[in-house]
Amino acid sequence: MKIYTGTGDKGKTSLFSGERVLKNNARIDAYGDIDELNSILGALAADLSGEKELIEELRQIQAVLMQLSAWLATSPDSALIESLAEISTERITFLENAIDRLQKDLPVLQSFILPAGHTTAAWAHVARTVCRRSERKVVPLLSSSLKGKAAEQYRNLFVFLNRLSDYLFVLARHCNHIQGVPEKLWKACGDFQI
Amino acid sequence: MKTRVSTYTATLLKRRWLSKKTFEITLSRPPTFEFKPGQRINLSADEHERDYSIISAPAESEIALCIRKVPGGMLSTLLSNAAIGTSLSFNGPYGYFTYHPSPRSAAFIATGTGIAPFCSMARSGISGYTLLHGVSLPEELYYAFLFQQSAKNYVACLSEPTTTRAAGGLDFSARGAKRQGREVPQSLRVEPGAKHPVWKTQPKKLPADSFQGKVTQYLAQHLESKAYDFYLCGRREMIREVTLLIDERFAGSLVYTELFY
Repeated sequence: MKIYTGTGDKGKTSLFSGERVLKNNARIDAYGDIDELNSILGALAADLSGEKELIEELRQIQAVLMQLSAWLATSPDSALIESLAEISTERITFLENAIDRLQKDLPVLQSFILPAGHTTAAWAHVARTVCRRSERKVVPLLSSSLKGKAAEQYRNLFVFLNRLSDYLFVLARHCNHIQGVPEKLWKACGDFQI
Repeated sequence: MKTRVSTYTATLLKRRWLSKKTFEITLSRPPTFEFKPGQRINLSADEHERDYSIISAPAESEIALCIRKVPGGMLSTLLSNAAIGTSLSFNGPYGYFTYHPSPRSAAFIATGTGIAPFCSMARSGISGYTLLHGVSLPEELYYAFLFQQSAKNYVACLSEPTTTRAAGGLDFSARGAKRQGREVPQSLRVEPGAKHPVWKTQPKKLPADSFQGKVTQYLAQHLESKAYDFYLCGRREMIREVTLLIDERFAGSLVYTELFY
């Protein structure tokens, strides 16, 4: 089965709600970043061999990211938003509970840490930075004209991304912790040997 | 996406041939199965499976599908021969190719059996649309009778040359075919259990607006250039050509697509 249609060969693509837009449209840009984030989570999960609980947690987060993408790919004034699965506040609570669980065994931070360490921790940091970039791409879409269900869903979507960034930071620390890799604390200019 | 997909079992109730290559089957409808016009199901038998758009309306008590017998196609061949009463399983419904009311005019574009989802929409009472149906031969204008009644503008786009006599009024009934000196294909037969003879869904005459050429040619040359809600169902070549044409000629339009593999 061929997967290509060629409808984007001249620089446009279709939103789920039917609009033909340029491929650098703000919506495409936003869900493109979420797609990138999702792919990095896949790479991270692939490296987490044996960590069944964490892998399952990441799979659930990946599924929610697909939901977020569907919302971003749909014009908020389209009737098609009724066919989208809702991003419930339970998704946010899920992340908050996970953050609390992972943080329990970690030492309190007294300074910044470098995004480094075990491969899985490094992937989590990459994911965190892409998640922050996704947030920045979503901000322009949080227009005051959003109403009703769309306004509520965009609010949840944005909070989810914010919380996910925090989760990924804690996950990176957790990954180093379970792999026995010490965290590298940041000392301003201290690591340079000039 | 919100989907309530389940697996069901249905019985093959009827089959009738619409043309040499295409037939319609009717299945019993499981009581809990719900769908929207334009959605499809994944039908399976003997470990073969394939998606088919439903042509019946949600309000109907049975499920009907329009199937092209694909050379070498395992499931379509099996379904073309399966005994009435055969038990089949399917899951679904799938897809978001559903009609959305809009202030813009709706333009349905189909090629071949890509007409199927529009059939369900028309049988559900959706009317006032423009329909371009691209086929090779007039006998492939499935359900034309239905569309002639509910479309505001129904254009049959015939890609193979049609004789002047045919273009002026091809009679699709068996009697008309004989009168016009044409053979009625053996495959245009009504099988036991089929309620309606073929002519009830085939046009007795070509639609007034029949066009010699592909749907893309009609779109490029004849359809008024304005914003529409386009619904495209067919093979990838058509989807690609029409979508690029919409970008060029119908700015501000919405495009919903259902790709046939």
